[in-house]
Amino acid sequence: MALKDNEFYKMWFKDAWPYITGAVLLSAFQVFTLASTGSPWGVSGVLANWGAWLYEAVGGTVDKWYYFASVGAQRTLEGGFLSDTGSMRNVGIILGALFATLMASQFKIKKIKSWRQIAAAVLGGLAMGYGARIGFGCNIGALFSGISSFSVSGWVYAIFLFAGAYVGSKLLVKFFM
Amino acid sequence: MSEASTSGTSGSIRRSSRTRKKKKSQLPIGIAAGIVIIILGILLALKDPKLGLFWFTGMAFGFILQKSRFCFTASMRDPSLTGSTTVTRAVLVAFALTSLGFWAIKYGASQQGLPIPGQSYVVPVSFATVIGAFIFGIGMVIAGGCASGTLMRVGEGFTMQIISLLFFIIGSLWGAHDFGWWKLNVISNGKAVFMPDVFGWAGALVVQLLIIACLFVAAHKWENRKKEKNA
Amino acid sequence: MAEYELDCLGEACPIPLVKAEKKLAELEIGDLLIVLIDHSCAMKNVPEWARKEGHNVEIEEVDDGEWECVIEKVK
Repeated sequence: MALKDNEFYKMWFKDAWPYITGAVLLSAFQVFTLASTGSPWGVSGVLANWGAWLYEAVGGTVDKWYYFASVGAQRTLEGGFLSDTGSMRNVGIILGALFATLMASQFKIKKIKSWRQIAAAVLGGLAMGYGARIGFGCNIGALFSGISSFSVSGWVYAIFLFAGAYVGSKLLVKFFM
Repeated sequence: MSEASTSGTSGSIRRSSRTRKKKKSQLPIGIAAGIVIIILGILLALKDPKLGLFWFTGMAFGFILQKSRFCFTASMRDPSLTGSTTVTRAVLVAFALTSLGFWAIKYGASQQGLPIPGQSYVVPVSFATVIGAFIFGIGMVIAGGCASGTLMRVGEGFTMQIISLLFFIIGSLWGAHDFGWWKLNVISNGKAVFMPDVFGWAGALVVQLLIIACLFVAAHKWENRKKEKNA
Repeated sequence: MAEYELDCLGEACPIPLVKAEKKLAELEIGDLLIVLIDHSCAMKNVPEWARKEGHNVEIEEVDDGEWECVIEKVK
C-alpha cells in the first residue's frame, strides 16, 4: 500500500486536525515550555531583537535605547542570532509549518496579487510590531501566556484586542478587499 | 459560466468536469526537509542543549499550528465578522488547559519555597496595554495573521506574509525605540496583578476557570444567535 | 442553475470567506459557487461556514495546495 493511502498518514499528515486537537497539543507544549525553560512561550519579543540586528547591520545602534538597556538584552544582542534561544524557536515555527505543509503535499508559493495586499501587509505589520512592544507581547506572549500565567494584564489585553479586531475587520472590508 | 447539472436531492454535487493538472507528491521533499531540520536541531543541541530544546519546541508549535489551522486572529475576529465562534471556543479550551498546567507548576514552586517560574509574563496593566492590544488587533486582522500566524504562513509559502513579517520587525524596532517614553509616562503608573495574590491560589484557579467557562457559554450562545438571525 | 467562479487564490483569511458570503447572497437557489482557494485555513473555514449555513458543500484538492470549494446554494 502506498504511503499516501495509509490511514495513519492521512490522519497525522494529510488532513487538517480539529481545532480542539490543536488546543490540547498547544497547551501540552506550553506547559512543557514553562516546565523546561522557566518561561512560557513568547514570539514577538524576539522580533524586536531581529529588528535591532537589522538596524545594526545597516549601521545603526540601539545601545542607548531604554528597551535594550538591561544586561540580559545586551547579552542576547551581543550573542547574535544563532545563540538566541527565542530566535531558534521562531525559526523552528516557520520550519515546522513548512514541514507540515510539505508532508501534506500542499506547499505552494502564494504570490502577491495586488498593491492592496502589500499595503495591508505593511500597515498591519507595523501596527502589530509597535502594539506588541508597548503592550508587552502578541497573541502568544501577552494573550495566551499572559492569561495562562494568571496575569490580569492578559485579560485586559484580550478585551482591547477584541475591540481592535472589530475595527480591523471593518477597515479590511472597506479598504483592503 | 457554464451550465451545470446538479442533483438537488442528494448531498453530492455534480458539475462540469474540467481537466486537471497531475499532482506531484511533495512527500519526498517533506521527508528530506524533516531530516534536515532534525539534523540542524541536533547540531544546535550540541552547541548548547537549550538551543536544541527551543528549536524542537518551535518546530512542534509550528507543526501543530499548521495542522490544526489554529489561529488566534480568527478567534478574535470571527465572532464579530462572521459570527462563528468555533476557533474562539478552541482558544478558550487552550487557555483553560494551559492555566491548569501553569497553576500546578507555579503552585508547586511556591509550596517548596522556590521562585515561581514565568513571572516575567505578569506585566503591568496600563493605558499602554490598552493601546498596544488595540492596534495589535487592528494590525493582525489587516495583515491576515498575528505573530505566530505570520511565521506559520511564511512557512506555508505566503509572499505577502514575508512582507508583513518584515514590517512587524520594523514596527517592533520602532516600538522598542519609543518604549522608554511609554515606560516613563504610562507603564510606570500601571500595576502588575498576579491573580493568586488577590484571590489566593485556589481562588485564582476557580476565578480563572469560571471566567473561561462563562466566555465559552457566551461564545456558544453568540453563534446560535447569529444563526437564528440569518435563518 | 448557473455556475459561478470566485477566484480567491493568494488571499489570506478572512477575505475568501467574506467574498464567498457576499457572492453567495447574490446567487439564486440551486446555483453553484466554486471558490478557488490556496490558503490552508480558508480551505477549512469556508466549507465549515457553508455547511453550517445549510448548503451542499464539496471540497476538492485540485493541485498541490490548491482547492476548489463547490457550494450549492439550497436556501
